[in-house]
Amino acid sequence: MSETPLPDPVRDVLGIDLPPERLAENLAAFARILEEIEKLRALDLTDIHPSVVFDPTAPYRREAR
Amino acid sequence: MSRPLWGEPIETLEPRLRAKALSPVDLTRACLDRIAAVDGRLLSFICLAPDALEQARRAEAEIARGDWKGPLHGIPLGIKDNYLTADMPTTAGTAAPGIAFPRRDAAAVARLRRAGAVLIGKTRTHEFAWGNVTPPVRNPWALDRVPSGSSGGSGAAVAAGLCAAAMGSDTGGSIRMPAAACGVVGLKATFGRVSRDGIVPHSWSLDHAGPLTRTVGDAALMMAALAGYDPTDPASRDEPVPDYAAALDRPIAGLRLGVCRNHFFEDNQEDVERAAEAAIRDLAGQGATVVDFTIPNLAYGLAAIFAIELASSTAYHDVSLRAGRVRDYTPDVRQLVEIGRFVTGPDYLKAEQVRAVLMEDFRRALDRVDVIVGPTTPITAWKVGEWTARIGDRDESVLAASWRFTFPYNLTGLPAISIPCGFDREGLPIGLQIAGRPFDEATVLRVAHAYERTHEWKERAPAL
Repeated sequence: MSETPLPDPVRDVLGIDLPPERLAENLAAFARILEEIEKLRALDLTDIHPSVVFDPTAPYRREAR
Repeated sequence: MSRPLWGEPIETLEPRLRAKALSPVDLTRACLDRIAAVDGRLLSFICLAPDALEQARRAEAEIARGDWKGPLHGIPLGIKDNYLTADMPTTAGTAAPGIAFPRRDAAAVARLRRAGAVLIGKTRTHEFAWGNVTPPVRNPWALDRVPSGSSGGSGAAVAAGLCAAAMGSDTGGSIRMPAAACGVVGLKATFGRVSRDGIVPHSWSLDHAGPLTRTVGDAALMMAALAGYDPTDPASRDEPVPDYAAALDRPIAGLRLGVCRNHFFEDNQEDVERAAEAAIRDLAGQGATVVDFTIPNLAYGLAAIFAIELASSTAYHDVSLRAGRVRDYTPDVRQLVEIGRFVTGPDYLKAEQVRAVLMEDFRRALDRVDVIVGPTTPITAWKVGEWTARIGDRDESVLAASWRFTFPYNLTGLPAISIPCGFDREGLPIGLQIAGRPFDEATVLRVAHAYERTHEWKERAPAL
């Protein structure tokens, strides 16, 4: 039975197609930011509605300036 | 000693323009001469309007026939180069091939034209407003220092007297940081107060528009022209616009000044902290009550703004990323745009959840106080090419430090102003930040004016 190869998580899943050395540079630069973002990932915010809203009336409000 | 014409604030220019005692042509020529004399060293303008003097002549004729349009009529202004303009090209600070912007006026630009302003040129921005340095612009107070950014061209131009005021945009502090670094006033109005239509987007839910000016009164005059509902900006709010200038002289006795003792007072250069504390004492001396408080959740603010700003900017630049055009961006901006892809969808939404938490925390604080006061930035202008600044006994990344006190008000959308509050031991300006309740720019301006009128910082000008 042939096994289907797993997709590459960076190239195929995130859509980042960079040479390895460029990818390494970017990951190194992201490390400091990732330290901060890991604080977000550790939070339990289950009951908080994110401050993202959409307004179904918005397209009807556009008028000439 | 009287100020040269190019060094005067709008407040003193406009009554003379209105009374026909001063010609808009002479005023505009004074600014253009000043640009010719010093902007070769500052590099704050990327282009000048070829018809600046023609605009001034038109204003002069209109005023002469009694068609006075208001306090900005005949006033020379600079426009940050990420605002679209019909009569000048827009680059958003990029030289990358294949990037082009329409020739039309942004909503704020259209408002300034309707108010009769003379738009003399476009001021430099950090590429796509994604940075705090604004190369190649230099700081008028020390030419080996950055003007900060991303509205660094506007900050340098106003400080050096190249225009009476200029427009900026602010996603994490990009109006207030250069205002602090260059010793001028910078107002980021409430999210939804000034239209962003026609401003090249950086991060849709964080981008704000506002003016950089020489005085608080000038900021009030600019806001009178800029504020108001615009259905072409999805974030614009139809809120009443008060008479900002009328509120300026009201005493602040009885107002409650909030001082957030964590985050804003934990890691400042010594001279910055001393100046901010002195300013708070001065405001208390005018009868305001000081109320200390803390917002512990600010510990998650940097993560939230990183996630939102990176993800949003990368979404905006996605077509350029896929087309390979980001290879021609400057290296720092290219990297920020590329690494935004590492932010996941859940990271983004958790950042928006933290944002909701912080909005609630600040609401609770602003139930108890009328404004929140503190330093604008923990550091003064740093040297060109340096990426760390000395704070106490250690070096900190300027990328991390410079926007620490400004980004909370982008996350929360609250109005915030930076005003000069002194100079450090090297003669570099220090900024005081005053923030307020949503759409209450009037109280922010009132407190700022109360401080400004009892100090002489605005009388100082850089020696160029």
